[in-house]
Amino acid sequence: MTIETGGGGATTVPRIVSGELDFAFGNVVSLMVAREQGLPLTVVANGMTTTGDAETDYSALVVPEGSDITAPAQLQDATVAIDNLRNIGDTSVRNSVRLDGGDADHVDFVELAFPDMVGAMDNGQIDAAWVVEPFLTIALEQGATPIAANFVELDPELSIATYFTGDELIASDPDTVDAFTEAMNASLVYAEEHPDETSQILTTFTEIDPELIDQLRWPRFETEIDRGALETVADLMVTDGLIDSAPDLDTFIR
Amino acid sequence: MTETTAQGPARERPEAPAGAGGRPRGATRTGTSKPLLGAVGIVAFLGMWEAVPHVGLVSERYLPPASTVLAALARRATTPDFWTAVGDTLIGWGLGLAIAFVGAVLLGFAMGALPRVRAFTNSTVDFLRPIPSVALIPLAVLVYGTDIRSTLLLVVYACFWLIYIQVLYGVADVDPVAEQTARSYGLGRLARIRYVVWPTTLPYLMTGVRLAAAVALILAITAQLIIGSPGIGREIAVAQSSGAVSSVYALIVATGALGVLINIGVRALERRVLRWHTSVRGEATA
Repeated sequence: MTIETGGGGATTVPRIVSGELDFAFGNVVSLMVAREQGLPLTVVANGMTTTGDAETDYSALVVPEGSDITAPAQLQDATVAIDNLRNIGDTSVRNSVRLDGGDADHVDFVELAFPDMVGAMDNGQIDAAWVVEPFLTIALEQGATPIAANFVELDPELSIATYFTGDELIASDPDTVDAFTEAMNASLVYAEEHPDETSQILTTFTEIDPELIDQLRWPRFETEIDRGALETVADLMVTDGLIDSAPDLDTFIR
Repeated sequence: MTETTAQGPARERPEAPAGAGGRPRGATRTGTSKPLLGAVGIVAFLGMWEAVPHVGLVSERYLPPASTVLAALARRATTPDFWTAVGDTLIGWGLGLAIAFVGAVLLGFAMGALPRVRAFTNSTVDFLRPIPSVALIPLAVLVYGTDIRSTLLLVVYACFWLIYIQVLYGVADVDPVAEQTARSYGLGRLARIRYVVWPTTLPYLMTGVRLAAAVALILAITAQLIIGSPGIGREIAVAQSSGAVSSVYALIVATGALGVLINIGVRALERRVLRWHTSVRGEATA
């Protein structure tokens, strides 16, 4: 087995379809969009789940220090940074705005890389940002205020990202796929039970400051993929026009 | 200010063609003052870089002072991972440049000998040449994934055209009198290429190589940064997505140093290969 890092869904999905990669990690919104476009992809294991608790979740919608905005409903006509347009960021942020009674159709989303968001908030280029770790902790350290836990509000059991494969591999080599699912589930259980080891592994493939690593908020490493939460995501995606109809979850997840 | 700039060239100009007497003096003077000025320039730049975040012009969070960045670079230079990344970058650069060089020279000389084919392919070349190599990133990822071949595709594509066009100009620049003289002396096709076409093309070729060497480094780093193929570029991407700002700048400084070294190397090569050419031994003609 070799682990490759680098490249988001735009690079991993075609490589799964072409059979060059066997398994990849991607968020559920990207996968549902890809499925609707007819790409033969199936989820084989959970990746990470929100903690379900706004105080500890690894993802949040934040505003800069001194901002007048205190709740998602006030984001109407505000500029909000997300890492990818028409993906899980805007879908979940729109949901938070709606839940708070705001007008989700009039939020101006701009695409920025996570590392650039805190700086853009400081410069006043954006009014709010959706950030995930390690940039959530960095943002909070620099005085940002969380105004919504977008994933928790979407569903406290939401699986944000999952491992997936191509249907061709499932047909040709189901044993390998089974083995992968089993191994991933074992590793998820281990990661959840050994948080210290899990955070230490970050020092081997990232450059996150060791002091920062101790403060990071983590997702939950859960083996179950909650279908109710995925149905909620799919409905929101239909509402926002990302897909025309909700996928059949029985074939979406193996 | 205006006085010194007006004086500088005026004082130097008459010395340049002064022949044997003036030359050594001029050479030693520029020889000592140029590196000195260069060193002063770097120190001034580092001082400014150090001051800007301290004064608060830019927040230290986004631009750490030079001392912090250089310390981060020094720490990194003691790790084998850093040198592996440097090695990967140099391999991508060197291999890409070499493939482009061989391909461009062979094809360029073939085209020089076959003017009809050249006319036939001109429009295609003019179409392909301006395509920025980075536009091929999706193709590279799809075909080669994240390994070094993706880097090579981008490097070779960009460098090939730079060298190829220079070779085409070079082979077209052959003096017809020299060519006919060689023919009347009974030199065969290969001998004419070796003694007439090659020396004519060499200065053009070296210009192409010099341009391509710089471009190859740019594209090697770009490929690593965007695609995630191994090398310094990927290290920059990892540091960036880890929020390790001083590491990002340290790696950028490392790429700059690599660029300087490559430039010095190519200049030295150019001087050596073209030592017979008037552009290099300029003063000896006086």
